[in-house]
Amino acid sequence: MSNEEKMFLSVSGLKKSFGSGETRQEVLRGLDFTVAKGEFCVLLGPSGSGKSTLLNILGGIDSADEGEIVINGDKLAEMNEKSLTRYRRKHLGYVFQMYNLIPNLNVKENIETGAYLSDNPLDIDELLKILGLYEHRHKLPNQLSGGQQQRVSIGRAIVKNPDILLCDEPTGALDYKTSKEILRLIEEVNQKYGNTIIMVTHNEAIKQMADHIIKLRDGMIRHDIINTEKLSAAEIEW
Amino acid sequence: MEKERISSGRRPGNPLRRRVWKDMIRDWKRYLMICIMLVVTIGFVSGMYVTNNSMLHSLDSSIKALRRENGHFRLSEKADEDTVKAIETGVTADVPEVFRERAYNEAEEEVRKAVDEAVEENVRTQVEEAIRTQTEAAVDEQLQQAEKAGMKATEAERTEMIAAAFDTAMKENYDKAVSDALDEAMKSEDYVKAFDDAMKEAKKEIDKEIDEKYTELSDRYGLDEKFDPVPVTVYEDFYKDTDEILPADSDYSGRIRIYSERADIDLFDILKGRAPQNSSEIIIDRMHADNAKISIGDTIKAGNAEFEVVGVAFFADYSALYESNTDTMFDALTFDVGMTTEEGFDRIDANTSYNYAFTYNSPPADKYEEKEMSEHFLKSLITQTAVSDTEDLEIKDYVPAYANQALTFAENDIGKDKAMAGVLLYILTAVLAFIFAVNISSTLEKESAVIGTLRASGYTRGEMLRYYMSAPLLLVVIASVIGNILGYTVFRNIVADMYYNTYSLPKYVPLWTPEAFIRTTVIPFVLMLVINFAVITKTLKLSPLKFLRHDLKKSRRKKAVRLPKWGFFARFRTRVFLQNIPNYIMLFVGVTFVMLLISMAVGLPETLSYYQSSMKDMMFAEDQVILSTTEDEDGNTITTPDENAERFSITSLERKSDMYNEDVSVYGIVSGSRYVKLGSCEEGSVYVSKAYADKYGIRKGDTITLSEKYEHKDYTWKVQDIYDYSGSVSVFMGIAQFNEVFDRDADDFSGYMSDTMITDIDKEYIAKEITSQDMTKVADQLDHSMGAYMTYFQYVCFIVAAILLFLLTKIIIEKNERSISMAKILGYENGEIASIYLFPTALVVFFSEFLAMYLGYKIMAGFWKLIMMQMSGWFGFVLPASGFVKEFLLVFAAYAVITVLDFRRIRRIPKVLALKNVE
Repeated sequence: MSNEEKMFLSVSGLKKSFGSGETRQEVLRGLDFTVAKGEFCVLLGPSGSGKSTLLNILGGIDSADEGEIVINGDKLAEMNEKSLTRYRRKHLGYVFQMYNLIPNLNVKENIETGAYLSDNPLDIDELLKILGLYEHRHKLPNQLSGGQQQRVSIGRAIVKNPDILLCDEPTGALDYKTSKEILRLIEEVNQKYGNTIIMVTHNEAIKQMADHIIKLRDGMIRHDIINTEKLSAAEIEW
Repeated sequence: MEKERISSGRRPGNPLRRRVWKDMIRDWKRYLMICIMLVVTIGFVSGMYVTNNSMLHSLDSSIKALRRENGHFRLSEKADEDTVKAIETGVTADVPEVFRERAYNEAEEEVRKAVDEAVEENVRTQVEEAIRTQTEAAVDEQLQQAEKAGMKATEAERTEMIAAAFDTAMKENYDKAVSDALDEAMKSEDYVKAFDDAMKEAKKEIDKEIDEKYTELSDRYGLDEKFDPVPVTVYEDFYKDTDEILPADSDYSGRIRIYSERADIDLFDILKGRAPQNSSEIIIDRMHADNAKISIGDTIKAGNAEFEVVGVAFFADYSALYESNTDTMFDALTFDVGMTTEEGFDRIDANTSYNYAFTYNSPPADKYEEKEMSEHFLKSLITQTAVSDTEDLEIKDYVPAYANQALTFAENDIGKDKAMAGVLLYILTAVLAFIFAVNISSTLEKESAVIGTLRASGYTRGEMLRYYMSAPLLLVVIASVIGNILGYTVFRNIVADMYYNTYSLPKYVPLWTPEAFIRTTVIPFVLMLVINFAVITKTLKLSPLKFLRHDLKKSRRKKAVRLPKWGFFARFRTRVFLQNIPNYIMLFVGVTFVMLLISMAVGLPETLSYYQSSMKDMMFAEDQVILSTTEDEDGNTITTPDENAERFSITSLERKSDMYNEDVSVYGIVSGSRYVKLGSCEEGSVYVSKAYADKYGIRKGDTITLSEKYEHKDYTWKVQDIYDYSGSVSVFMGIAQFNEVFDRDADDFSGYMSDTMITDIDKEYIAKEITSQDMTKVADQLDHSMGAYMTYFQYVCFIVAAILLFLLTKIIIEKNERSISMAKILGYENGEIASIYLFPTALVVFFSEFLAMYLGYKIMAGFWKLIMMQMSGWFGFVLPASGFVKEFLLVFAAYAVITVLDFRRIRRIPKVLALKNVE
């Protein structure tokens, strides 16, 4: 891995707080870490540790009070609203715990909402097959199970072949079996398309499949570990 | 890590675009209803623009094609050829010089006569004296000779002899002597001097009087102004006004104005039938024929002469049937215009009105020039008439084309309708745009997480804005296309029928009207765009994170409003109300809009019917007869044996303003009148009618100024009080004051008023008769033109109310779907849920109605006043309690229908909805 790849995403001195005066609450208290290109990075921590806030700041939909984020040489703090939108459009894919699909667009069309944002999207039919949704491509979201809906939302995020895929508790609303399916899919996507994946979770088991584990507590990094004994999604249990 | 070889696909089109159609199909009921409303309104307005433009174009073309007059004037009698020629020059006559010359000539004759008479008297006396002296001398000489002969005569004998000799001498010599002496005297210097002195004195008097009078005349007519002559061509356009009798309809009572065959001016367009060919044939106005149900082949009587109707036509000078230009409203119901041959004209036993039409030899470039030319021509007309050789020739009427309501009313009204319909469309579009905006705001809340995800994925604010605005804009475009197609096909005919039912108009050919397209497509599109943009863009400015967190309120209420210790349901309903305040405000706006329309649909017929039924009671006397002369041929004052009859005086003045010059009837009332009960009147004070006071906001103690119509003479009076009379815009004063103010004889009067019909005055002495039918003709005509449409309009309003309420309550229920679903899960029954979610809406509709009714009434009354300010006369907007009840019931009935649908909608909300993910 080259230095450039190692330094694909760097975070330094990142601080964020909410409220003011007595109600002021520091959510991120000075974070420093880097993520390499193509890395599967898991942000781990209990509720209120600041992991979702960190993910939102990385995704350019929230801003930090202090510190610097550099992604592929671009400083997020220097970007205005328009540039941030362009940055998200060209480089980021988002997967949330809730699938947030458009109810009156079918599976394929929901994925097309992602494809439309890219000048060079993936082949949608091929992706649908990878996602295991090809048979369901004409169905509306309310005709799908939770797992299938999350697959669609992953499809929508990766179809534009983003540099970074940000996943916020993608299995939070799913049962064990379906969660494993989704994790397998994310793993497959990471391997097949080489996207950098940053996943927020409070599920300790998931860290086993990550290249890079960052543990947060009270807005600070408690552990920043490169996982050398990585397991496949199929192998992990909880 | 290197990416695997991956196959790229094609970038798809924007799937949100496809979603726009899907949204419209999913919510087809809402879109269909809005679309229907827009299509119908756009169709109607487009039809109105197309028809109006086409009709105005055909009216405009008819001016040239049918050689329409530039104006007309009516004289008291037929003008001699020289006068007509002089009028045609357009030159102002030198009135003082002509008058001076005439006076000098008259004076010379009189002075000469007076001097001659004086000289003759003098000569006769002198001749007689000379003969007497000579006779006496001769008789005395004879008597002296006789005395010498011894025959002395007595004194008595002498006197007798002198008398006999004087008689003989007078008989033999007097005439010749007088004649010789007169010849001598006339040649004498004294005679010439006496004549010259007398003439000098007379001229001095004449000059003084003429200078004084001319100064006054010049002030009154503004004759000192210098301007270029306005040469015109004058055409005889004589007519006879008489009763129109329809043998087939004995109840009908109308009047007809018949013209002799027209060949050079104010021609006609025969719409059906043919022109009259003999003295027993006539063509009449098409509109009146329709109204009075007169068909070709029918026989009508004009006074005593029978005519067969052989055609119906559009007369170039009567697009609206105004009998007199000072009438408040045209009257196509009981007033007709016809044309027959010259022989036919002679058969009619009625006074001829010496009406002359004129055209400018150099047509004016624009309206301003036309007005100026007409003013200059009037001066020429006044002076040329004054100096005419035809004795006592007077101008009875002067109406330039631009001020002739019979020519301009239809044109102006058609133009105004267009503007009004346009405004109606814009208001409706604005209301619908707000409904869309509220609906979209509600959708933004509902789809908040999806929007957040899309924004987080890189969709720009502009893309989201375009998507959410696409449906309403697309709908406007679709509605505009369909509406315009219907406008050019279906609605055009409806509007044309409406106009043909009101005015006498020529045939029209539909024209492509770009204005219709712009007004009915571009403007609604822009309105929809601007309103939705203003409302949506505010929300879309929020960050993706706020959308993801469903945090769309800019200012989050810190604490819930504390409610009193009411029952649970009352508090629940109050919470529902508080939560939906923006929607209820929209509901209120919608109800107000509908109420404004209903105020017009209900208020107009109510106002008309009020005036139709109460005008008779409003009149201070059943019959008012205005005489053309107060003395008959023998010089006796015209009287009536009617015991109820009472003399009165009347004249017409003008209340001048920039907007409209109002004709005001000024009455002189006898003291102690039983019909017009005036109190005492201070000098320089008058009473004004309630109609006058209401129209111009006059109060007791104010000062009013009225002017003579064709003269520059103003009258200023203080308002003593308001006289409770709403029949016309009038001023009242004592008859003595009237005669003094208007420089009339102390015992002068204009006519009689009575509570019984005055039937015993010879028609030839009657200039005008005012009955209750004359007073209600405005209301009758308006009722005929618009009454039937207003009933349809009430149904339309009901439908519009129902649709607006449907759309707005739908938004409220949709917004609360999840809560309703949750309430169902908790075990609430549909009835209870409906009472929670529908009751606040019902209350809002109920109270909105009251407020909206008041607002609608006020706006409509103001709007009505604006219309009436541009018309002669006045009747205020009247809406009786029953009208308000009707308005209320119309909207509430619409709401009742919608409530049933809403209840059904609530019943259909599934329980699982609350348990589903928010998407």
